[in-house]
Order: sequence, then structure tokens, then C-alpha cells
Amino acid sequence: MNNASVYIIVPAYNEQEVLNKTISALVTLAYSVVVVDDGSTMNLKEYVKELPVYFLQHQINLGQGAALQTGNQFALKMGAEYIVHFDADGQHQLSDIEKLLQPLIDKECDITLGSRFLNQQEKEVPGGKRAIIHTARYINYMFTGILLSDAHNGLRAMNKKSAGLMVLTENRMSHASEILFLIKKHRLKIKEIPVSILYTNYSKKKGQSIWNSIRILFDLLLHKLFQ
Amino acid sequence: MTGIQIVLVTAFVFVALYYFTKLRNRIIDVILLITLVAVAVLFVLFPEITGVIAKKLGVGRGADLVFYTSIVAFWFVVLKLYTKIRKLEQLTTDLIRKQSIENAELNKKTS
Repeated sequence: MNNASVYIIVPAYNEQEVLNKTISALVTLAYSVVVVDDGSTMNLKEYVKELPVYFLQHQINLGQGAALQTGNQFALKMGAEYIVHFDADGQHQLSDIEKLLQPLIDKECDITLGSRFLNQQEKEVPGGKRAIIHTARYINYMFTGILLSDAHNGLRAMNKKSAGLMVLTENRMSHASEILFLIKKHRLKIKEIPVSILYTNYSKKKGQSIWNSIRILFDLLLHKLFQ
Repeated sequence: MTGIQIVLVTAFVFVALYYFTKLRNRIIDVILLITLVAVAVLFVLFPEITGVIAKKLGVGRGADLVFYTSIVAFWFVVLKLYTKIRKLEQLTTDLIRKQSIENAELNKKTS
């Protein structure tokens, strides 16, 4: 397979050195990398200007869901075969990308979702965060009928067909649940792949707080009511 | 006319005049507005009417009836505004997305 037909979407909002580090690592694998600057208040371009990537910029901050959707649309326009969503904060591992892609290449499924709980990494996840994730899993299950071993994990890969069907309208963080709605709606085949998440102080700071989770739930309820 | 009646009637008339200047182009809005304000003024001037309607509907007092219907109207407006905001948000997103895809840059390899 040609790595250039794999598009890695990296949504970024006010990330700096860590963005440069993440992207530098990604480009060594010869994937096509799309950085979507979601209206950062600082000049993100500075941090990727020496790297061979596509750089897209939202004029104002719309949210991660919107940035991923922009990345998907752009990648499809460029003729992507596979699309991977990868967080900019350095919590995902490069080696996991291939693990996510393999089932897609083998045509086993349409979408692969990274799960940090399939490889006994559970104990490494900070306690409070673990409780939120488990609650989120069951809330997702209630809404979509899909029970995953992990929830709101930013690492996922999809083939061209499912990327075309994925039209995310939730601009903010509830896009992770919206993806499950769309999987259900379009009867896409999914597979969970064990991945490891690196909890650095930086990614912890950037991660979901309890308050944010409540907001996601609220967005989700409104989404169900008004779709 | 009591003091409160003067205050309320004046307020309604001003609100009506304000919206009248904004909604001039749609006849249905104007009719709706005039009807609403007419009913409101009528109720303010003759509060006994609300009492009669309230009794018929099984609500104790006219003022309570007005209060309950106001809550319903309030929620209607909130939902209406919410859907409108969602639509605007979607429109903004589409525009910004289109613009960002059109202006996508490919950085050159420097190494």
C-alpha cells in the first residue's frame, strides 16, 4: 500500500512545540499529513512550516469535531484511500496507526477505533478520568446501542467509503458520540483495536474535565432532539 | 385607568411600534403582532376577562392563567431561537470550512 494515500488528520488548537514534535514524527512515515488549525489565537504555522504537510486554517475556532470534518473533506478531495484521526497533543503512538489500518486494508471492517482498555492499560488511566470514560461508554450505549470498551478516544481510522458517509455536524467534542450515531445509521462495520495512550502532563491538562463531559452530554441530548 | 394599566399599555404599544418598523415586509407578521398586542391590551384594560376564561379552563385566577401561558410561550421562543442559532452555526461552519479547504497550503519539503 502507498502510504501517501493514507491521510492523517491532526486537528490543532493552540498547540505549539508538541505539535511540531507530533507532526515531525508523522511525516517520517511518509503519510500525507493534514494539519487543521482550528482558529488558534497564536500562529501555528510557525511550528509546522518546515514540515511537508497540508496546512488548513479555520478563521475562527469551531471545535474539534468541525476541524476533523474539514480534514476529512479535504482528504477525500485529494483522493485519500484511508483517513486516520490523530491528536496533536502527543498522546497517541505512531506504531498504533498501522494497527488501525491493517483491518481496513484487509477489508475486515470500515472503521477502526482505538481503545486503551483492550490491552490492560486501564490501571494507568487516572482514576477520575476512568470514571468519566466508563460513564461515557454507557451513555453512548444508551444512545447508540454500541457498547465499546473505550469512549472518546481520538484515535481512529476509516476507509474512503465511511469517511464519505461521515458528515459531522457536532462541532464540539460530542463528535465522538456522533460518529457512533453515524456508524449505526450507515451500518458500518467497526473493530476496536488496542492502542496505548501516553499520559503526559500536557495531554492531561488538555484532556476532558468533568465539566466538559457534562457539556458533551448536553450537546448529545440536543443533537438527538434536533436532528 | 390605574397606574399599572398605563405602564403596561404604553409598553405594549412601544414594543408593537418597534417591531412594526422591523417586520414591515411580511403581512402575516404584522397581523400576528397586531392581534397579540390587541389581546394583551384588552386583558390589561379588562382583567376580568382573563378571570372568566381561567374559570372555564379550571384555573383559579386570571393572573395565573396569564402566567402559565407565558411560560409556554417563553419555551416556544427559546426553542425557536435555539434552532435558529444551530442553523447559523452550521452556516458559519460551512463557510469557514469551504474557505479553509480552498486556501489549503502544501508546505514544501525542506530536508
